[in-house]
Amino acid sequence: MTFLSNLINGISLGSVYAIIALGYTMVYGIAKMLNFAHGDVIMVGAYISFCATTYLNLPPIVSVVLAMIVCTVLGVLIEGLAYKPLRKATSLAVLITAIGVSYFLQNVALLIWGSNPKTFSSMIHLGSVSLFDNKLIITAESIVTVLACIVIMIALTVFTKKSKMGKAMRAVSEDKDAAELMGINVNVTISVTFAIGSALAAIAGVLLCSAYPVLQPTTGSMPGIKAFTAAVFGGIGSIPGAMLGGILLGIIEIFSKSYISTQLADAIVFAVLIIVLLVKPTGILGKKITEKV
Amino acid sequence: MAEILNIENINVYYGQIHALKDVSLKVNEGEIVALIGANGAGKTTTLRTVSGLLRSKTGSIKFMGNDISHTEAHKLVSMGVAHVPEGRHVFLQMTVQENLEMGAYTNSANLKEGLEDVYERFPRLKHRMNQIAGTLSGGEQQMLAMGRALMSKPKLMMLDEPSMGLAPILVQQIFDIVKELNKAGTTILLVEQNAEMALEVADRAYVLETGKIKLSGTGKELAQSDEIKKAYLGG
Repeated sequence: MTFLSNLINGISLGSVYAIIALGYTMVYGIAKMLNFAHGDVIMVGAYISFCATTYLNLPPIVSVVLAMIVCTVLGVLIEGLAYKPLRKATSLAVLITAIGVSYFLQNVALLIWGSNPKTFSSMIHLGSVSLFDNKLIITAESIVTVLACIVIMIALTVFTKKSKMGKAMRAVSEDKDAAELMGINVNVTISVTFAIGSALAAIAGVLLCSAYPVLQPTTGSMPGIKAFTAAVFGGIGSIPGAMLGGILLGIIEIFSKSYISTQLADAIVFAVLIIVLLVKPTGILGKKITEKV
Repeated sequence: MAEILNIENINVYYGQIHALKDVSLKVNEGEIVALIGANGAGKTTTLRTVSGLLRSKTGSIKFMGNDISHTEAHKLVSMGVAHVPEGRHVFLQMTVQENLEMGAYTNSANLKEGLEDVYERFPRLKHRMNQIAGTLSGGEQQMLAMGRALMSKPKLMMLDEPSMGLAPILVQQIFDIVKELNKAGTTILLVEQNAEMALEVADRAYVLETGKIKLSGTGKELAQSDEIKKAYLGG
């Protein structure tokens, strides 16, 4: 039973990583940049939801929607103010800027909300499910997280395959110049990508803090880095890859914690990444395209 | 004949490199105009500047009387300019059909009719409509790139090295298609390293050398000029 319960916890944590990883992978796919501030958008989302329920007494679902709106605006602003002017700059300049934005967000959060951790009360007010005479208890947080992850995955896949904006995003991710020559406004497409990624980050923030209720300005950084790892692990740029990478990473982390060592869990997670990249540098589902001349 | 494209004294730089020096050229409605020259002469740069992917520092570019030197690239398509870039740049991970749909991005009203027209013109694309573009041969990819450009119903089509890397029989086929498109009413600005073929189909041509227009004239005149023969036609 502990095995099953660990597996479920792993899938649930992995689903959070997967939702965050989607933001990383979509932005990378389209803007060819690593948005290291993405993890901190998660933290902002969690704080907004926390404040909305604690101080404004809004219902949880409204607080989540509010968090999504704020994060969407924040994501588009970050892109427009910090990254857009660097569109033609070297990728190193963009990377350093992203790290700067990350610290900026953490410090603004520190100014507004202080360094004392807040206790985030779960946004999911449903009972847990008990199976096998209470030997296996699945929390409502786990169920909602996994369901949210599945719904988001399906919605994003349909969106990129069928909608006009989704197709434009695929075109931009493949070939920016050619997309521009088709009449696609590349800048708008990039903004939309940031908007979607940041809205997802808000959801991830609420789900993460509902399961692990300590909220402080650095809350987003470690899950952010792990989700980035998950995106690379699954094959950066690939939406199913981010999903698969996230869930595998969650399972590996929880299993390492319960069967090997709590202290070593993170080290094991990153060791697995290194091994995967040595064997398959493009990640599990990463594609390598051979171009014809 | 009405002027469709008028480039006047444009200067384009890549950082410190002065890539185009006071380049001027004109394309009239219904013409095939070729721009020939050696590697690195600035042919591709000229096309990329017209389509807005690059900016000229000085000079002006007019399309059907409107100044487009500051128009964003994505807005030019709906104005009637289609650019088939060097190396085709089809979307390799999309299917043939999806590639063509992208071509009609700004003109979805023309989608159905456009697809019919393109498939009629390029029957090979029809056979491969559900195939991923990355699996096509070089010649098929060139046809796809041209078909994709046609989907926007352009008034001016700019072709950058359509014959690059193709077998001679395919080169002939591509040039035949260029002539057909022109007959059907599309004005063409053609960039080519294959000067012989380009001068054969072109009404008029310009010779670009290290960023400057060196010669211009009708296709026939240039094909017979000793200077051209020596430099570009291997005579």
